Amino acid sequence: MKLFVPSPGHINSLKELLTEKDKIYSIFMAGSPDYIGTGRSNLASPQLEDIAAQTEYAHKRGVKMEMVLNSSCMGGRQLTPEGFRINHWYIEQLANMGVDSIVVADPYLVETIARDFDDVMVVVSVLAFVDSPQKAEMFVDLGADSIVIDSNVNRHFDVLHAIRDSVDCELKLLVNEGCLYRCPFRYAHFNFFSHAFGPEPRPNVLDDYYYFKCLELRIDDPQQIIKSPWIRPEDLKLYRDITDVYKIGGRTHFVDWILNCVNAYYGESYDGNLMDLLDCPKELKDLFYIPNKSLDGVLAKQWMNCKKVCIKCGYCKAFTKKVTQVYSGGGTELAALTSLDTFTEKS
Amino acid sequence: MITSELLKNRAGFEEKLRKLIGRPILLIELDIFALPCGCTGITTNMRGLEVDDLEVFEPQMLALVKEMAVNLDVKPSVIFARIVPGSSIVASLNWRVLCSRCYPDFARGEGKTPRPDLYMLQFERRK
Repeated sequence: MKLFVPSPGHINSLKELLTEKDKIYSIFMAGSPDYIGTGRSNLASPQLEDIAAQTEYAHKRGVKMEMVLNSSCMGGRQLTPEGFRINHWYIEQLANMGVDSIVVADPYLVETIARDFDDVMVVVSVLAFVDSPQKAEMFVDLGADSIVIDSNVNRHFDVLHAIRDSVDCELKLLVNEGCLYRCPFRYAHFNFFSHAFGPEPRPNVLDDYYYFKCLELRIDDPQQIIKSPWIRPEDLKLYRDITDVYKIGGRTHFVDWILNCVNAYYGESYDGNLMDLLDCPKELKDLFYIPNKSLDGVLAKQWMNCKKVCIKCGYCKAFTKKVTQVYSGGGTELAALTSLDTFTEKS
Repeated sequence: MITSELLKNRAGFEEKLRKLIGRPILLIELDIFALPCGCTGITTNMRGLEVDDLEVFEPQMLALVKEMAVNLDVKPSVIFARIVPGSSIVASLNWRVLCSRCYPDFARGEGKTPRPDLYMLQFERRK
């Protein structure tokens, strides 16, 4: 198993993470937002000398370093002469310091890196939304060495196998993203992040509508959590004939949280709250308790052959009611878990 | 104010809102604040609370809101929800003891939404 593990981005985090170096194939982290941003929020903005030091530190411990430059929107700047020059210079610096792979979402950057930087693996980001053999083939033609498959198809085994059969490059699965299945906010949210965590000018946004709405939808209808396309540690074995390369999301979490995920996925087992493992939305781990072990066998029995016509099926809805509990009274002597049944249904 | 009181009130307010609305609303953070202008008060950051809930349950919710103000010994001159403009999202509920500089900002506004991001639950006009 090759496990790609997030780092919040500073050397102290890396040192802590690499206490478990034997379980980690590669670290990944964002760079400076001043060049090419990322499609997610970041805690740090390591400058080139920081990245070089961290890359060297990881390499000395036998762990690879991957940089994430997966902005889903650069506002066309990447196509201007100035934008191209800056981006190319930045990638060149990363390549020269020995970064092993670079994750990008923009097809233009895939082709540019593949053409000009032989020593760096070009990884197509999950934010390029590769969800079909056709799209995977096109990215391989552009020069992709690795593709992180759109997590929306994590439970579409027919599509996963079709992609596997169509391309020879490395395929990666993002295992613990808690995003809504077929989320309607996905493109808008990642584009927003790309600008908020990209080069100036950055939008001065008080409230992240997409995040709040995402939480609201789950609180209204908790089956949306169960329907999210995360992959449990116990279920990795069902993906072995597609890939053995897995990516854990969560670069804005504490190192302890990340290492808990590393241990769970490396050991292919977790006895606790499923919500502990999901990268986002992290606030809901203080609301819902879903025993991870209660999902044993569900992927094989139900979701591997699911037609995704929820209105005709209702399995996830019934299952959610059966296993989900709600935290109440946190931090007081009345702290308890209550059944989801005690709440009315809105939808 | 001791922190156990804050914990008790966070949990109690959340529980009462859940019972009122029928959904597992999450009160993600309860804060007591003091601002440099002189305003003080309480903020509760909410997840899952919607503008519809305010409109439908306003009298009942106002009673709960006032109860928590009493519990935390805050005498608010204004109580409002902060909403994400143009959406159904209630980001927070706020109890504020207005200073003399901020009072006119609120006193000049009229109606339930004097600003796109505010939904007024109560305002005490000075005489």
